[in-house]
Amino acid sequence: MDRKHTQGDELTAATHLRQRFEPLLNGRLARFMRKPTLAAVGAIVLVALWQLSAVVIDLPITVYPTPMSVVAEFALIYSNGILVEYTLDSASRYLSGVVIGTAIGLGAGLVLGLTPFLYRMFQPIINFFYSIVDAAWIPIFVIWFGYGEKVILIMLVYTVSFPIAFNVITGIKIIPAVLINANLSLGASRLQILANVIIPSILPNTFAGFRVGAGFAFRSLVIAEIIAGSSGIGYMIFDGAANQMPSRTVCGMIVLGLLWLYVEQVFLNPLERVTVDRWGPMREGDSP
Amino acid sequence: MTRLLSLPNWLLGGVPFLVLLIFWWALPRLVEFPAYMLPSVEVVANGYYRRLLDGSLIGHIGISLSVLAMGFLIGNALAVPIGIAVALNANVRDTLMPTLTFLQSIAGIAWVPLAIIWFGIGYGAVLFVIANAIFFGTLYNTIVGVRAVPEVLIRSARSLGANRWQTLASVILPGAFVQILLGFRTSMAFGWRALVAGEMIAGASGLGYITIEAVQWYSIDVVIMGMITIGLLWLLMERFLFRPIENATVRRWGIVRDR
Repeated sequence: MDRKHTQGDELTAATHLRQRFEPLLNGRLARFMRKPTLAAVGAIVLVALWQLSAVVIDLPITVYPTPMSVVAEFALIYSNGILVEYTLDSASRYLSGVVIGTAIGLGAGLVLGLTPFLYRMFQPIINFFYSIVDAAWIPIFVIWFGYGEKVILIMLVYTVSFPIAFNVITGIKIIPAVLINANLSLGASRLQILANVIIPSILPNTFAGFRVGAGFAFRSLVIAEIIAGSSGIGYMIFDGAANQMPSRTVCGMIVLGLLWLYVEQVFLNPLERVTVDRWGPMREGDSP
Repeated sequence: MTRLLSLPNWLLGGVPFLVLLIFWWALPRLVEFPAYMLPSVEVVANGYYRRLLDGSLIGHIGISLSVLAMGFLIGNALAVPIGIAVALNANVRDTLMPTLTFLQSIAGIAWVPLAIIWFGIGYGAVLFVIANAIFFGTLYNTIVGVRAVPEVLIRSARSLGANRWQTLASVILPGAFVQILLGFRTSMAFGWRALVAGEMIAGASGLGYITIEAVQWYSIDVVIMGMITIGLLWLLMERFLFRPIENATVRRWGIVRDR
């Protein structure tokens, strides 16, 4: 009787437990875990296919890297310091290129956007120079400045500044004239209009241009380091391939992917949210 | 000043080109510098004319454009179906997207060295890099385009008895078409960049190749010819390839559909 009672209790406890956790397993928890699980499945399948292909193709490690050889190579370049040194080289080049390019793009965009005459005059030649894609400038820069830092920096500045300038100009062109006229008629000075009307209105466009420029510049960095560099991740990728160390090349590619994801997730996406939240909707509520 | 302002755009826009040419022409007459740094306008113009006449420039242009076209076909043939599958099916999306996002963030050009090992210097390596760049350019736009098709249209087509293929062919594809087209255009820009860079690093012919090859011989006239040709070709593609297509399709699907 007593035993039966306990059994019954255990039964209810088990049912109770199941009732409590089953929906969790099938419902929220499962739903919560589904995305990371599937993402992991995708990644694992890719790595497994890669390992399998290495077995099937059966080429020497000097031609076809395997997941294991890449891990080993990572350990090697980490311990001899190349990884950190080259990553820092690339990152500092990218940073200085983007900063200088943004400043130039902003300045040029403001001047051209605010002076219709200059815009009409310079638009064709700017379009023409911009249509010569980034890589096509490397040969002439190499002849003028030699292989090395200067070429890489100029390339980055070039790729960043054009999209920003174009978008600043577009941003200025779409400001409703009535906003500027209203401020003028209320006695605002030119400087006040620049600070209170023009700069806030062009921020979303400027950011869009910055995003494009930052993306293109990342690719330019790799191209320039491959052709004209003697350090950096781009150089490492090419150097590895040229010296029968494709594992090192793959290491470099993975680092590049991570670097770009870092730039995108930590800087670009939050900045975009801030710009849109702060200036996008506010502008509408701002002009009653 | 007022007279300058009333000039037509093409005339006003021509002024900086003219100034640049005059400056270039006058520079060797004003300052001393080694001829390999910047040859005179005449030398560049003569070289350009000669190479245009003997067909060698046209040959390289043809090679570049054919690789680009091939990469465009291969990249898009993969990107559009995968993009549609990713956009329509949550399981496919959650499985593939993280991996694809990571692969996309490896800048296309970073594949060149590996492509050289696998395919050797030349056509194969360049094609691989172009197809890679074009694939990711179109993929993203295809996903956005398909996701933007209103759910209610798909459901109403299904509830009226359309099967999956009919829904795809007559609702989803037309609805996503303009965005996919935008993807083609974006991917062409990516592909063009990849082409020039790829030919420079891994090419054995083509515009990018002759431009970087000339650096070894300090024949800067060829370098400048390559740059001008690359710029002009892109402008021509924009003017005669993208704009007509855009006009035609946006008018056909963008506006007509809205009525």
